[in-house]
Amino acid sequence: MISVQRLTKSFEDLRRGPVMALDEVSFEVRPGEIFGLLGPNGAGKTTCLRLLSTVLRPTAGDALIAGYSVAREPEQVRSRIGFMSGNTGVYDRMTAWEMVEHFGRLYGMPEDLLQSRLHAIFQTLQMTEIRDMLGSKMSTGMKQKVSIARAIIHDPPVMIFDEPTSGLDVLVARKLLQAIASLKEEGKCIIFSTHIMREVEKLCDRIAIIHRGKILAMGTIAELEAQSGEADLEELFFELISRHDEGA
Amino acid sequence: MSWLGVNWTNVRLIFLREIRDQLRDRRTLFMIAVLPLLLYPALGIGMVQLTVLFTEQPRTVVLLGANELPADPPLLAGTEFLPEWFETPTDAEKLIVVTDTKPGEPVAKAATTDGKPDAAESSRESDAEEQATRKATLEDAYELLTYRNRRRELTGKLEAARKALEAAPQADEARLALAAEVSGLETEERALKEAMGAAFAQSRIQVLIVVPEGFRGHLEELSRRVAARDGKTVEPAMETDRSTDKGSSEKVDAEAAALPRPEILFNRADDKSYLAYNRVRDVFDAWEKEILKRQLERASLPQDLTHPVRPTLTNLALDEQIAANLWGKLFPALLVMMSITGAFYPAIDLVAGEKERGTMETLLICPATRTEIVLGKFLTVMSFSATTALLNLLSMGLTGRHILSMSAQGMGPATGDFGLPPLASMGWVLLLLVPLAAMFSALSLAFATFARSSKEGQYYLTPLLMVTLGLTVFCMSPGVELKPQYAVVPIANIALLLKGLLLSPSNAGSLMWYIVPVLGSSLLYSALALWWAIDQFRREEVLFREAERFEVSLWLRHVLRDKGPVPSFAQAVFCFVVMMLLQFGMMRTFQAASGADPQALLRALMIQQLALMASPALIMGAILTSDFRRTFRVRWPAVRWLGIAVGLAVLLHPLVFEVGQLLQERFFDPLPRHVREAMGLLLSKETPTWLVLLAFAVTPAICEELAFRGFILSGFLRGGRVGLAVTLSSVMFGIVHLIPQQVLNAAILGLLLGLLAVRSGSLLPPMLFHLLHNGMMVLHSLYGAEVAGIGTLGNTPFWTVREGALRYNAPLLFITSIGASLLIASVIRAGRERPEPVGVPAGELGGDVPAKKSGAKLSSGYSNP
Repeated sequence: MISVQRLTKSFEDLRRGPVMALDEVSFEVRPGEIFGLLGPNGAGKTTCLRLLSTVLRPTAGDALIAGYSVAREPEQVRSRIGFMSGNTGVYDRMTAWEMVEHFGRLYGMPEDLLQSRLHAIFQTLQMTEIRDMLGSKMSTGMKQKVSIARAIIHDPPVMIFDEPTSGLDVLVARKLLQAIASLKEEGKCIIFSTHIMREVEKLCDRIAIIHRGKILAMGTIAELEAQSGEADLEELFFELISRHDEGA
Repeated sequence: MSWLGVNWTNVRLIFLREIRDQLRDRRTLFMIAVLPLLLYPALGIGMVQLTVLFTEQPRTVVLLGANELPADPPLLAGTEFLPEWFETPTDAEKLIVVTDTKPGEPVAKAATTDGKPDAAESSRESDAEEQATRKATLEDAYELLTYRNRRRELTGKLEAARKALEAAPQADEARLALAAEVSGLETEERALKEAMGAAFAQSRIQVLIVVPEGFRGHLEELSRRVAARDGKTVEPAMETDRSTDKGSSEKVDAEAAALPRPEILFNRADDKSYLAYNRVRDVFDAWEKEILKRQLERASLPQDLTHPVRPTLTNLALDEQIAANLWGKLFPALLVMMSITGAFYPAIDLVAGEKERGTMETLLICPATRTEIVLGKFLTVMSFSATTALLNLLSMGLTGRHILSMSAQGMGPATGDFGLPPLASMGWVLLLLVPLAAMFSALSLAFATFARSSKEGQYYLTPLLMVTLGLTVFCMSPGVELKPQYAVVPIANIALLLKGLLLSPSNAGSLMWYIVPVLGSSLLYSALALWWAIDQFRREEVLFREAERFEVSLWLRHVLRDKGPVPSFAQAVFCFVVMMLLQFGMMRTFQAASGADPQALLRALMIQQLALMASPALIMGAILTSDFRRTFRVRWPAVRWLGIAVGLAVLLHPLVFEVGQLLQERFFDPLPRHVREAMGLLLSKETPTWLVLLAFAVTPAICEELAFRGFILSGFLRGGRVGLAVTLSSVMFGIVHLIPQQVLNAAILGLLLGLLAVRSGSLLPPMLFHLLHNGMMVLHSLYGAEVAGIGTLGNTPFWTVREGALRYNAPLLFITSIGASLLIASVIRAGRERPEPVGVPAGELGGDVPAKKSGAKLSSGYSNP
């Protein structure tokens, strides 16, 4: 469903000169699978997911999402993904219902289907009380719910979550992770980036550890532990990164 | 709904969402609706109140020597001037007259005829405080009077001293002493005047009138003489005064000089004093007229004796035309300023605000393309821009009309019908508002896209506002009218067209042919601005700009360390700006030089070229780029390119010359005479030909090519778009020529020069073309007519000598145009010949090298899918 091939992104920085944010990264994600991108801040997670959501254009390489190229067919890709990150805010001057409805229309959904999906999603996510609340009045948890509703309204086969739990309290984060797990049950192909080990252990089928734009290791948690002989994921993560930094 | 590759359903969805979003924002609503609807009525009320407050302030006029005023016609009525001396009698209460007369003094005699002053003074006496003020005011007046007398004495002395100095023999010690005395007296006089002014400013007096002693007697004497002239008693009365004819004329002159006349003191620099003086002057004029009238009556002379030639005035303006004049000046300015204000805030909120509130990425991941997003936002901004402008116009028009009609009722005399402009004019307003709002909306969006926050957005948009303000002020200046060359100036063309249409709706016919160029160019500019906005929206470095710490030293180090082989786009623009600033700064220096002889001017021109064009480009090229040869295209071209350059220069010469002449005659205003004279002097035979050629052909060919086809074009080419780079560099090449006639010519030739440089990969062909083109122009005006006149060369079907100049005829123009077109076509078709530089890694080349796909994509974003 997602096939990333030597995806590369570089940009100019006044202080550092040209910077390789993502350096020939390749991986695959299958339907019904949650793929975790694990890495410290500034590792290139966000850049990678922005490339997949076609907000950024790759410098080199490509990725196929549901068979469409992010470099050549960005519109096709965008209508087949649901994307959610800390940077995808909620409009202040729209109510929850208006916001989700607006995006549904942008996805070109027929009006009757849109209305029935809206009702169903607002039921499942328990959003009926905040239906007519303006974005500016919502709490962080409410906004998160609206964002999820916005990302799944068009029932996309691929979901991309970029550090979705950052800034959330434990309760809201827990609910969110449950929601993502249930999306997996529906057979969606999910990419999930985080720097929190426990989320990865709980949720992900396979993970890639990414640092300074490169994938250091990839596989199921069991495989990674077997490879390194390290039983604890956190230790393993730390070990890999410090070994890479020494090498560099 | 798909048209032009755009899904209009998405555009509509985004447009509707943005409109709703803006309407839910209290700030926006306040700016576009509440402010205009409340502001103008509030301003109107405030103005009316201020006027009332202002006019109720009476001014103090002190009149000394009131006892010398004639009894009839009376000047004063109590503490005021007689109301009938004012055009509007109620104005009398705006001047309080304090006189030095007291009851019982001889002055009372003057006013006994109508006992009014007595009554007024008795009522005044009841008020002790008023009495004290009056006393203090009079004391001020007496002080000023002392000053005046001293000054009079001093000026008398000064005059005498000056006369003595004039009469004194040259080089005399006495003369020196006199000169010293004069300058001493002058200083003293100035000091006294200053002291007097200070005393005047401190006093409570706005105007001081001094009626001299003997004024009344003088007037009575005049009346007596006029009366005596009546009938046959003239002779004896006159004869008592004159002994001989000669003596009488002298006497009359002397009398005229010594006539006791009232003196009025006021301060022109003080508004209060000046306004009061104006009223006093009108009073004295009216009063004098009445005195004159009575005297003429007494002498049974016609009333118009003093005005033998007063013409009758016929004003052809109709009331509604006077109104149209007012609206014609106000409406275009308001329309421009309000449509930019209306675009300003929504544009910032829609782009910078969206970034600030963190919803930009939400929008970018929806299926709508960037073009659709920008179009939706653009239409929103445009709606608000147009609505703001219209609401402002409406509110202002209605308020203005209301207030003017109100004041017209109060004033009595009609001030014209200040109805709104006729319906046809309002139609023009609506029509012209569309391109105006479109252009401002697109420009504001493009600027705002670059901003990370609303605050930044305001910084970026303020320059746009200032430029617009400047253009508007220019357009509203009296006498500035729509001319062919203004028809393509953005903003100004619309403002001027609207001004013309509103000023004289009957004149609309003659303005009709401007409508196509004005609307066409404005829509073109709007489209370009919109294209730019979309382009901005596709650029990642613009959308995802992150807050960077900016340090000058860090940036300088970056510029010097990471310098590219050729200049960047920004560096090219910077080079141009430096050149323009240098030109502007040195303008005076070169103007001073131009006064001298033509040779000095030619030398100044060459220095200007070297110092202000070649030097900045070469210095920047040496410092900012690593590949000097590539930046300035130092390379031998294929020989055929030199041939093409020569061929083009020769073939284009007749066409360029004739088109230039045509434009000169039909399109542009003639150059000011002193400029034409200076040009004539430069191109006269007196100046050595080699010097003229050096200044007009050789130096520009080298300097301008180094700057514009060298540094600037190389910088622009880094963007990867050849057409855009050549166009931009030629526009700048045009602008740097300053004189409108040359701007157009240079901009068009710049296209060709840029194309030659890009295609040949060398600076030599454009230099050669430039040299030959300018050289032939110089030789043509110096020797053209002569050469054509030799033997049988005279008049052929190809050329004729007309008005002392060699002119090319249609057949020659036709043949050379065909030849030139073929050559230009071959240049355009020719593939780019460019040296692949050795030793520079492909990754560091500009985006225009195909090998470096990755780098090109970085900057071009979505533009080339």
